[in-house]
Amino acid sequence: MNSQLALKTDKLTKTYITGKIEVTALKDADLSVKKGGFIGITGESGSGKSTLMNLLGGLDTPTSGTIEAEGKIISRMNKEELALYRRYSVGMIFQSFNLIPSFTAQENVSLPLLFAGVPKAERKARAAEALENVGLSHRQRHRPSELSGGEQQRVAIARALVNQPKILLADEPTGNLDSKISHDIAELLGNLNQSRGLTVVMVSHEEPLLKEFAQGIIRLRDGMITAREMI
Amino acid sequence: MKLKDYIELSTANLWKTKLRTFLTTFGVIIGIGALVSMLAFGTGMQKNVINAFNAMELFNYLMVFPEPFSPKINAEDLILDNEAIGSFTKLKGVEAAFPDIRFPAEIGFRDKKEFSFIQVLPAQFADTKLVQLRAGSVYEADDAGSMIISDSFLRRLDIRDFERVLGQKVRLSTLVLDFSEFNPLDLVGLLGGEKLPLTMKNYELTIVGVSERMGMGGPSLLRSDVIISPTAADKMKKITMTNLWDLFQQSSRKGGYSLVNIKVSSPKYVDSVRSKVEDMGFRTFAIIDQLEEIRTGFFFMDMILAAIGMIALVVASLGIINTMIMSVMERYSEIGVMKAVGARDRDVQKIFFFESSIIGFLGGVFGLGLGWVVSLLINRVVNYFLAQQGVPAIDYFSFPWWLCLGAVGFAVFVSLVSGIYPAMRAARVDPVVALRHD
Ligand SMILES: Nc1ncnc2c1ncn2[C@@H]1O[C@H](COP(=O)(O)OP(=O)(O)O)[C@@H](O)[C@H]1O
Ligand SMILES: [Mg+2]
Repeated sequence: MNSQLALKTDKLTKTYITGKIEVTALKDADLSVKKGGFIGITGESGSGKSTLMNLLGGLDTPTSGTIEAEGKIISRMNKEELALYRRYSVGMIFQSFNLIPSFTAQENVSLPLLFAGVPKAERKARAAEALENVGLSHRQRHRPSELSGGEQQRVAIARALVNQPKILLADEPTGNLDSKISHDIAELLGNLNQSRGLTVVMVSHEEPLLKEFAQGIIRLRDGMITAREMI
Repeated sequence: MKLKDYIELSTANLWKTKLRTFLTTFGVIIGIGALVSMLAFGTGMQKNVINAFNAMELFNYLMVFPEPFSPKINAEDLILDNEAIGSFTKLKGVEAAFPDIRFPAEIGFRDKKEFSFIQVLPAQFADTKLVQLRAGSVYEADDAGSMIISDSFLRRLDIRDFERVLGQKVRLSTLVLDFSEFNPLDLVGLLGGEKLPLTMKNYELTIVGVSERMGMGGPSLLRSDVIISPTAADKMKKITMTNLWDLFQQSSRKGGYSLVNIKVSSPKYVDSVRSKVEDMGFRTFAIIDQLEEIRTGFFFMDMILAAIGMIALVVASLGIINTMIMSVMERYSEIGVMKAVGARDRDVQKIFFFESSIIGFLGGVFGLGLGWVVSLLINRVVNYFLAQQGVPAIDYFSFPWWLCLGAVGFAVFVSLVSGIYPAMRAARVDPVVALRHD
């Protein structure tokens, strides 16, 4: 693998079998993302975007094909290794923020550190720092229900980055947000990409946003890559 | 993840559903409380019985019978007389050896007549822990006119003030085989058990002491309602009878006793003394041999009591399973989030195991407390009512350290077992499904 690549897939295929129905959500997807790159993914609903993101994030395993991330072959990892990959190497954010409602912002951000066995005092300090980096130092003790949608997505970003992964996977992070806030979030991801060299893969329906911040756009249709555009 | 983190996280999760956690834990409290009080009762009873045996030094006794120890020995040669007793006394560890003589008689006191066995016991043995006096004192060595009566005999007469009977007279009517008035023609009737050639002889003795007659399967040695000195017994015409055979062996035995008790200074001498006595040809019996059987008996009693206590605990464990499964289903997406940020299956599993074991631990500790309080109350009530019957107060429940630790340990164990299935379900949650928003 080219050491300049953060992510690379080869003939990546995922077929879901529910009862007798087979759905090929992703078919022969070849894609590569440079280290420090920002790639946008777009496509209609059901085109396989989330499937691709879950495979890249190690949440799911492919039916065939390979995935490499930061030089490691993810597609060959067992469940245990995948958990550690998710813990240390990749951060994920979602359309529906997926914060734990009973936890404060700081506790939500601390969660990956908890599983990493980081001592409590250090967890607190690192979570506070991560929240500061997304502009939320004044919201440490707030619960998700006390935060706006944009603030909740910032907490989710802080959580995804608290273990300092090299890759951030954002699956429609602005899907639940109005256009002004969506722009803010995309801008935050762009800044993180620029200032820290964070590799970002972002799924979005809003092409103007992708065009503004991403270096390339991949179009998916019925599980297949139909177009690659460089900006 | 560190132990402290698991405990903190699990406690926080349980605290989120306070009422449900409390109700589930309360089920465990009741289960453990029932189990603990049942076992405390079993343990207490065993302790009481063993203590009573020890207090009476029953484990220090060996019984010797004038019967051959092995079939090779000729029964004719075995005579259990004063000479034999003398040789027993010389054995190492033997404190004393004394003949045990009992004979049937009718005890007449006030307006009550009761047929019972009279125990003959030399004064020096009556003056040991063997006879627990509740009033008065033991008779003098050669006192032919005195006797000790049991508290239970007096209680049957509704006498509770034992001091008052001291100095009063009791009539003993012994049975005497009297062939002088026996008509040989009645032999057929005799064999049919109709017309035994028995007559009664009356004697009057004075009560000098009141003894405690042990219940609860106490030794035959002390089961008599009346204890008299050998001097008093010698003066009476009577049939001695330790067992039914004596009635028929009476004439054939030339001298000798039907039973001799040996008291050793410590139970550790029982085996060596016994083998020497058996070398002399006599058959022996020691209550200490029954200790294992007593223990086994109590073990089965404990098992039955535990089984009753377990019913409540099984119900409690179903409660834990129910609560934990509900918790897993409610926190489905939370589990997905934990996995997405790097929790391994076993990390998730452990979180749920910790939750159920915290329920178990709290249930165990408070259940132990509940069992203890309930036992204390029952003990009070029982002792209060028995005190009115003149029974001295004892602890019917015992809480040894192994029972206390075992109760908490078992509660945690049961809750861990109850948590297996829910924790496995939590570990198997597919994060892709749990995190999908549509
Ligand atoms: N766990 C699953 N089981 C069965 N089918 C699935 C599953 N996940 C996704 N699919 C199907 O795969 C296709 C792609 O879904 P998805 O990747 O979620 O699309 P997108 O994110 O682009 O909307 C859809 O037809 C969807 O119904
Ligand atoms: Mg999607």
